[in-house]
This record gives sequence, C-alpha cells and structure tokens, in this order.
Amino acid sequence: MEKQNLKPIFSVSDLIAIVNQTLEYSYPNIEVEGEVASFKVNQEKFVFFDIKDAEGSIGCFMTVWQLRVPIEDGMKVIISASPKLTKWGKFSLTVKSVRPSGEGALRKSFELLKNKLDSEGLFAIDRKRQLPAMPQRIAVISSIQAAGYADFIKIMNDRWGGMKVDVANVQVQGSASADQIIKAIDFFNQQEILPEVIVIIRGGGSADDLSVFNDELLVRSIAASRIPTLVGVGHETDDSLADLVADVRASTPSNAAQILTPDKKETIGSIHNQLGSILPRMLLLINQYKQANQETLKAVVEIIEMKIADKARHISNIRSILTQLNPEMILARGYALVRGLVDINSIIEIETNKAIIKAEVKNVSNK
Amino acid sequence: MSATNKSIQEKTNELSKLVEWFDSDDFSLEEALEKYRIAEKLAIDIENDLSQLKNEIEIIKKKFDSDK
Repeated sequence: MEKQNLKPIFSVSDLIAIVNQTLEYSYPNIEVEGEVASFKVNQEKFVFFDIKDAEGSIGCFMTVWQLRVPIEDGMKVIISASPKLTKWGKFSLTVKSVRPSGEGALRKSFELLKNKLDSEGLFAIDRKRQLPAMPQRIAVISSIQAAGYADFIKIMNDRWGGMKVDVANVQVQGSASADQIIKAIDFFNQQEILPEVIVIIRGGGSADDLSVFNDELLVRSIAASRIPTLVGVGHETDDSLADLVADVRASTPSNAAQILTPDKKETIGSIHNQLGSILPRMLLLINQYKQANQETLKAVVEIIEMKIADKARHISNIRSILTQLNPEMILARGYALVRGLVDINSIIEIETNKAIIKAEVKNVSNK
Repeated sequence: MSATNKSIQEKTNELSKLVEWFDSDDFSLEEALEKYRIAEKLAIDIENDLSQLKNEIEIIKKKFDSDK
C-alpha cells in the first residue's frame, strides 16, 4: 500500500493568513528597541520607517495619530507593535506606539516637540490664565497611590478648607497613562458645573517615567482645556511640556498645593493685623477732629475779641466827644452862662464854674 | 461646604472694605464704633470658619481606561 502524503498544501493567501494567525497568537504585542531609519509620512496620514540595529532591519507602519512623540532618523526608540506578513510576503511591524529610548533620544524628542508646539504659540505667556484666589471646586488628576498625590492632599488640607475636591484616579506612568489623563481632562471639561481649576500632579521619577508628560496629545489636551490648569510634575529640576503649556506651573505636587490654596494661618494673621490697624487709625482721626475743632473755636474767640475791642474803641471816642460837649467842662475852663434879658437896669443871672450870680445890667453896647 | 467657603471670601472682602472705610473720606465718628464692631465680628467668624472647615475629597468612580 502506497503511503499517503499528509502534508497540507496551502494556497499563498491561506499560508499568509495562517502565518498571521500564528504571529497574532504567539506575539500579539511585542516591544522592539532599535534605531529609526527611512522615516517618512505619506498623505499626512501614514507613517513608514524601519527599525534597525547593527545586524537587522524591519519595516514599520503606523498612522499619524498613533505617533504621539516626534521621531526622526537615527533616534533610538522602543516600539510597541504586532508583527505581520503582508499579502506581498513582506514581514513588517504594525506599530501601536513609539517612545524614545535613552536620555539622548528623550531629549531630542522633547526638543523637537517643544519647538513645534512653541511655533504654534501653545506656550505663549498671553495664553496663560490666572487661577482663582480662593477656589471652591477643584479637580485633581493623579494616581491616588502616588506619593506626590499624598503630599498634595496633606498640604492642601493643612492650608485651606471648605473645598470640594474631585479626584480622577489615573495612571501617571506607562503607555496607557497619557490617554487616561486626556480622558480625565475631557471628563472635567464636560461637567455641568465646571471645576475652577484642574490640577495634574505626579511625583518624581526617571526621565522615562515622566515622558508621558511630553506626549503631544496630552500637551494639546491641557492647552485646549476650558478650565485653567495647574501642573506639578516631578521635582524642581524636571521640565515637561505639560509644565510649559499649563496656565500655572508648580515645581512639585507640594508646591502645587501651595500655589492653589491660601494659607489659613497667614489669612488669620492678616485679619488680625487689619483689625488691629483700625484702632490706632481711629484714635488718630479723633485727635485730628479734636484739634481741628479747637482751632476753629480759637479763631471764633479771636474774631469775637476783635469785634469787642472795635466796639470799645468806638464807645470811648463817643464818650470823649460827649465829655467835650458837657457845659460843666466849658464853665470849668472859665466861661460863664448868662440868663435873662439883656436890657439896661434888668437883672440877669450869671453862672460860673463855682457860683451863680445875680447882676444888674448897666450898659449894653454893640460889638 | 462650598457655600460656607464662599462666604469666607465674601466675609474677607467685606472686612477689607470696612478697613478701607476707616481710611476713606466717608469716615465719620458717629458710624465708626458700629463699623468697628461689625469688623471685629467678621474677623472672629472668618477665623472660626477657617479653623473648622474641612475639604470634601471624592475619588471619581469612573474609570479612565481607554475602552470604558
């Protein structure tokens, strides 16, 4: 009996499909590290590049909106991808995400995106909005397990009270984190009653840990937020594009709490100072009133005294004139008053200063 | 909570206006004592509010994973 050949015979397309099924089953999502080569974008939609090392090179394909950080030839990256055999028999990687690998690549990618967004005006000073002085409703986007979140909450609670704080618990590290933060920003921006500020915080970490805050879509989402944003990521020395695009940048999560809320101890101290400043001012004003009244009274008294003096002088003058007109004074000066008819032999009365004399007229002659 | 917190701001603004009044041309001795009493009460209220109020922190239940 002839042995039957049991090896299956595939059509080309079936073989490609089976290879793809096998790849999909065995390697649904792989990460590959290498250097970017032959990077190009077609029709502003499709991204093609090769990822290579010293001994090999694989073609990669992705869409523009999946490319969240700028890359260029020579940059070292880690891609997350699915391997695939195309219908033309070419092996390629369908890329889901790309992130720069190593400090040099991270810095290069950061600078490329920073320049791009800066040229669009996203970091312009005149875009910055002020935060409310005493917020009542705030939104926080962070991981509630993160140390930075605990620092923020502690300092915020120490400094101020009475606020409604909504917290979106998201990943702040890893490939899913950027999308989660973006969703949280969208969530708060769609609320019926908007929070007065969105605070995005994360504690310190490596450059790779913090690279999510350089994600282009996240940076654009912060820029597009209707609600003013406060970003406090990493340590004082860490720079991120999220920091640059935020309305207000805090150096750390703790600093974000200090910027966001007034200090109740300082506020109480200021109130006491304000109140304490009233009493001395009141006393000063009362003294000023008193002094002004005394001066007015003094001026009135002076006017009255002057008028009295004027009247006294006037009366004195009148008295002097009256004295001069008194007949007694004329008699005292040696004159005499004569009464009676001045005819010869008639009797007349002569009054002098000291006597009244009866006399007979002996002669009358004209002057 | 929020309403009370707002009233802290209102009270603080009111206190500032009262303090300004003592420096303004509207100042009169007849009104000063009453205004001072109001300012003193406001200061006590604000201090009490600030000492007693707590923040209301709520973790949102919604998941922010990509498909939810």
